Amino acid sequence: MVCPMEALVSDEAIKKIAVYIKSMPSLPTTVAKVLEVCNNPRTSPADLNQVISLDPVLVGRVLKLINSAYYGLGQQVTSLVRAIIMLGINTVKNLALSSAVLRNLSSRKDFQALNMEGFWRHSLCVGVAAKILAKKRGIDPKQAEEYFTAGLLHDIGKIPLNAVLAKEYVIAVSVSDRERISLYQAESKMLGVDHCQSGSMIAEAWRLEGAVGDAIAHHHNYLEYEGPYKDILYSVVLANRFAAIMEIGFSGNRFPDKIEPVVWEYLGLEKSVFMDIEDTVAKEIDKAQIFLML
Amino acid sequence: MFSVRFWGDRGSIPCPGPATVKFGGNTSCLEIRADERLVIVDLGTGIKPLGDYLMANDFKKGPIDTDIFITHTHWDHIMGFPMFTPIFIPTSKLRIRGPVSYEDDTLESIIGAQLSYRYWPVRQSELSADIQYDQLKETQLDLGDGLTVRTKYLNHPILCLGYRFEYQEKSIVTAYDTEPFKNLFPTDPEDPTYNEDAAIEGEAVAKEENEKILKFFEGADVLIHDSQYTQKEYEAGKVGWGHSSYEHAINSGHKAKVKNLVLFHHDPNRSDDQLEELEQQYRAKIKGKTPMQITMARDGLCLEA
Repeated sequence: MVCPMEALVSDEAIKKIAVYIKSMPSLPTTVAKVLEVCNNPRTSPADLNQVISLDPVLVGRVLKLINSAYYGLGQQVTSLVRAIIMLGINTVKNLALSSAVLRNLSSRKDFQALNMEGFWRHSLCVGVAAKILAKKRGIDPKQAEEYFTAGLLHDIGKIPLNAVLAKEYVIAVSVSDRERISLYQAESKMLGVDHCQSGSMIAEAWRLEGAVGDAIAHHHNYLEYEGPYKDILYSVVLANRFAAIMEIGFSGNRFPDKIEPVVWEYLGLEKSVFMDIEDTVAKEIDKAQIFLML
Repeated sequence: MFSVRFWGDRGSIPCPGPATVKFGGNTSCLEIRADERLVIVDLGTGIKPLGDYLMANDFKKGPIDTDIFITHTHWDHIMGFPMFTPIFIPTSKLRIRGPVSYEDDTLESIIGAQLSYRYWPVRQSELSADIQYDQLKETQLDLGDGLTVRTKYLNHPILCLGYRFEYQEKSIVTAYDTEPFKNLFPTDPEDPTYNEDAAIEGEAVAKEENEKILKFFEGADVLIHDSQYTQKEYEAGKVGWGHSSYEHAINSGHKAKVKNLVLFHHDPNRSDDQLEELEQQYRAKIKGKTPMQITMARDGLCLEA
């Protein structure tokens, strides 16, 4: 049950994905709000933080910028709050704007296999749930944001697959449905590449090494993971399961894998925790929804 | 010998006139000497008299060869460049380094844009000096002859670097233009945009970033710090403009055990009388509380590290 990182990969598909990642557009759900917030000279850092936080692509781009060799910072920055304080609101605003109005803005019709709003809600749910689980376990609040980012971005690899290999991806989703296998397995079968692999390419391009990159790359083969960010990875795996069970959002996967007991054991959590956090997660998503006027 | 001489210490815009005769009206330009080595920080309008001085003195001994560091590319820090005589001399060697903001043009095109026909009668391509440009980040450079420089990002609306020059165990540090990092996220739960996580993290980040800046100043023999405003002025509408108060500069210098603090980047509206009065006031306030010396920067001031 692993992401097949070595087999079947079509060179042409990989090339197409790489080209797409270079100018990866923002998700259309949030674009209008980004434009409104960024064009307002009186936008507050809090508004900016909120509007960017709701968009996995924008979060990734901002973090990419701050972690790029361009700034030459010694430390890996994985939180938007830190990015805004360090880079300043103007830089982050400009970046969000330029990302939002990229010429090949993704439109709703680009989301052929995936329902865009469902994908957005799933991503946000996994981010929020990962953060709330971390807080419940007494993780330092300063690190909570990294759990959120890792959860928000975990499925980002689906975006290029859906956009570049659109027809094949529709087939992959239906194969997953018909054969009752998890979507990443169907992707690998039909496209020769799965969303963990395309996600890794994004993580590399955006310099999201570390916990966020590992969550993107390993959220389906977590049992084999031996890196230093197991706590965040397992939290994302659990949050992903939470989103599936509670049916919050939908990212194309009708038959997600059950998770292994080791995840519960490692995090020291009982299954009842899902019920405990359900309300809080729902409230956070509602808040986001109101903000975006969906 | 390791020294710094001030050729321009005004912020924002040159302001000549009867009210600025003593402290000077030129914008920022420092001449740092490490024995035979010449380093210039910023190309504000102070570079014009410095260029004249170099032509009258150094040039007699040999070609002008210098490292120039730009703190940031706001206009008051680069506007003197077209009038820096050594750029027209074929034997001059200038190495210009500085930060540029994200997605901006290169340092060469930003500074060189001033030398185009619409602004100036001489074009950049017509300059006869050997000029090299390098974009800088947070880094450390060995400039040779025992002279090193370390850079640190400051807090200004565009990318801005502080410089720490070290030579024979002495240090001269610049920290302008900058203001203290602060939490940009609301901490009042009543605020409609309040977010607990952002509030907590914002506090921690601001504190950490300010500590890094103090560490950068640590034990400096000379610290040249932005102090465009009084604390009262700063709080009354200047927060977020990228400049510090005298009070902040003094407290930071004291905490970092700085020996000589130079208050720099004077507000263009500050008169000689006001600057003298403020200098006396702040000296009186800190008397007996810190071994640190404080001085208002003025054109012609020279300090040895």
